Amino acid sequence: MQNFESTTEYVASEELMASVNIAMALEKPLLIKGEPGTGKTQLAQAVSKALGKRLIIWNIKSTTKAQEGLYIYDTIQRLYDGQFGESGVDDISKYIKLGKLGEAFDSEDQVVLLIDEIDKADLEFPNDLLWELDQMEFYIGETKKTIKAKHRPIVIITSNAEKELPDAFLRRCIFHYIDFPDKELMAQIVKVHYPNVEENLLNAAMDTFYDIRNIHDIRKKPSTSELIDWVNALQLGGISAEQIRSKLPFVGVVVKKDEDLELVKKGGLV
Amino acid sequence: MFLTFFESLRAKGLHVTLGEFLDLQNALDKGLCGSSLTQFYYVARMILVKSETEYDKFDMAFEECFKAAEHETEVGAQMLRWLDKSEMLELAHEEARKHLNQTEDLQIDKDDVEEKFKQRLRDQNEEHNGGSFWIGTMGKTSFGNLGGNVGGVRVGGQTGYQSAFSVVGARKYRDFRDDRVMDNRQFQLAFRRLRQFSANLDIPESELDIDRTVDKTCNQGGVLGIVMKKPRKNAVKLMLLMDSGGTMIPYSSLLNDLFQSVNKSNHYKDVKCYYFHNCIYNHLYKTPECENGDWVETEWLFRNADSDYKVIIVGDAAMAPEELYSDTGNYRGPNGGLSGYEWLKLVKRHYKKVVWLNPKMAPGKAPWREAETACKELFPMYKLTVAGLNKAMYELMSPKR
Repeated sequence: MQNFESTTEYVASEELMASVNIAMALEKPLLIKGEPGTGKTQLAQAVSKALGKRLIIWNIKSTTKAQEGLYIYDTIQRLYDGQFGESGVDDISKYIKLGKLGEAFDSEDQVVLLIDEIDKADLEFPNDLLWELDQMEFYIGETKKTIKAKHRPIVIITSNAEKELPDAFLRRCIFHYIDFPDKELMAQIVKVHYPNVEENLLNAAMDTFYDIRNIHDIRKKPSTSELIDWVNALQLGGISAEQIRSKLPFVGVVVKKDEDLELVKKGGLV
Repeated sequence: MFLTFFESLRAKGLHVTLGEFLDLQNALDKGLCGSSLTQFYYVARMILVKSETEYDKFDMAFEECFKAAEHETEVGAQMLRWLDKSEMLELAHEEARKHLNQTEDLQIDKDDVEEKFKQRLRDQNEEHNGGSFWIGTMGKTSFGNLGGNVGGVRVGGQTGYQSAFSVVGARKYRDFRDDRVMDNRQFQLAFRRLRQFSANLDIPESELDIDRTVDKTCNQGGVLGIVMKKPRKNAVKLMLLMDSGGTMIPYSSLLNDLFQSVNKSNHYKDVKCYYFHNCIYNHLYKTPECENGDWVETEWLFRNADSDYKVIIVGDAAMAPEELYSDTGNYRGPNGGLSGYEWLKLVKRHYKKVVWLNPKMAPGKAPWREAETACKELFPMYKLTVAGLNKAMYELMSPKR
């Protein structure tokens, strides 16, 4: 069996890598939670790249229904074709369009399926997928056909914890919470994006960044991706390491809320 | 296997099911844990725990069951103090390490190292730094902290590597527990529970169901077939009554967050918000300042807000006994000849669903807090935390009492 490891573009902690491998070994969906900007979505891309498997992304929105992931019966097209006398109208299967989940099941090779931000959808959404994710098959009533996964896809599900997910759904998943990276791991992550970053600059930026995160009353803690943007801005602006703490250049990249900005400026940083 | 662990997890309040536990056995069978306790910790956590708010409970159960395994390397507190030299980290240069490793044979046979370690643990009786035999810092034996030997046992100090017991001991997921006092975002989430779609209610089908109309029309081969549905709107009406008396001042930012999140959840059919000072009497104030005259009559509210409103009272229920029981106890204004307790009873009688949220509720029965006990008897009272608010929301949504 193939194992997932950190790639040159994605730095994963030991536990995260283990969780991917365990989910694959036990053939269960992997549910990933964590602060925004800790790379939940990128994980699936990294897994697909590392294992050389195709990635299918199902982006969930507040209006998404479970059915859309399986298949859609395009009745309007059929009616339209019927009125203009197109051929093959009596072949219903022509009007069945597979959704993302259906596509993953139907694929000839094993794929990585990312169900992104599952908590955006309606409360009942995960429950509607229980059978499909368990058995990896579903039934199309219109054509009386069952679509069964040829190769069980590697399912990665991300959640921002906006809604509680139902217990029945959780029981079927492997769960991993991505901790916010510590300084060591963070330095590695930044270097993946900017390999030539100057050591002093990076250290000064990271110290300030972690201090901002540690301010007690801060409303929105800055995330990894914001630090990466900030380091980039500092590099492009030609800022020296000494100026970072005293002048806080481009701090708007890291701190986004007015109240927070005031807190930081009012000397939350000493 | 590990049945006591299973029981201990459930005793700690984690709803681990048999299915999940069998998954763990399956993982063990497949050798996913290797033979290390740390691996086992992570694998078990991934399979058995499904929310970061429950990591802390898991940690506690794990510690309870596998404490004995940790015992193998238990080190005296005194020795840990000798070893905690993290301030010397900068001194421990890469170069020095390389040099040390060249001169020392790598001891990577774990059993051997552990045996010697225990032996030396028994023999050692003072602090050592930089030596080549005793357990200490900066040394080149296989034991201790900041040392150069890569195959040895690390003892105490600041740890970068997350072994099971360093994680358990640190209890770093304590903040995620959902029984702590909450922030605005979590308030909003809790309030989302409060919804009752009118599609579930007994009302006429007055909206065109476009999807099903199209389907039906197509299924009938183009003959129009209209399908109607009930409009899907949240039918919940909410009333928030907040205490803004002096004893509530420490909680003002908490109440502000609560108010904001109710206002932000704009999916209710109606929201009413009034304030009272220590206890509810015949006037409810429109603003938290509770200015005389800037009020509505409580009776007026009863007439104009029907019994379907879901009422949330927020207060510390720390009235003085006379504020609650005396007919003239309200020093802020008239009370309509009824005591505060009578007014609260009227609220209870008028509204089907009332809950009380208390930011500083005493656990269980607290006979020394007379007013709180009296209010608890009238209304279901919950502590103003994530868990408490969720319970309160369930209570509000549960069918008629």
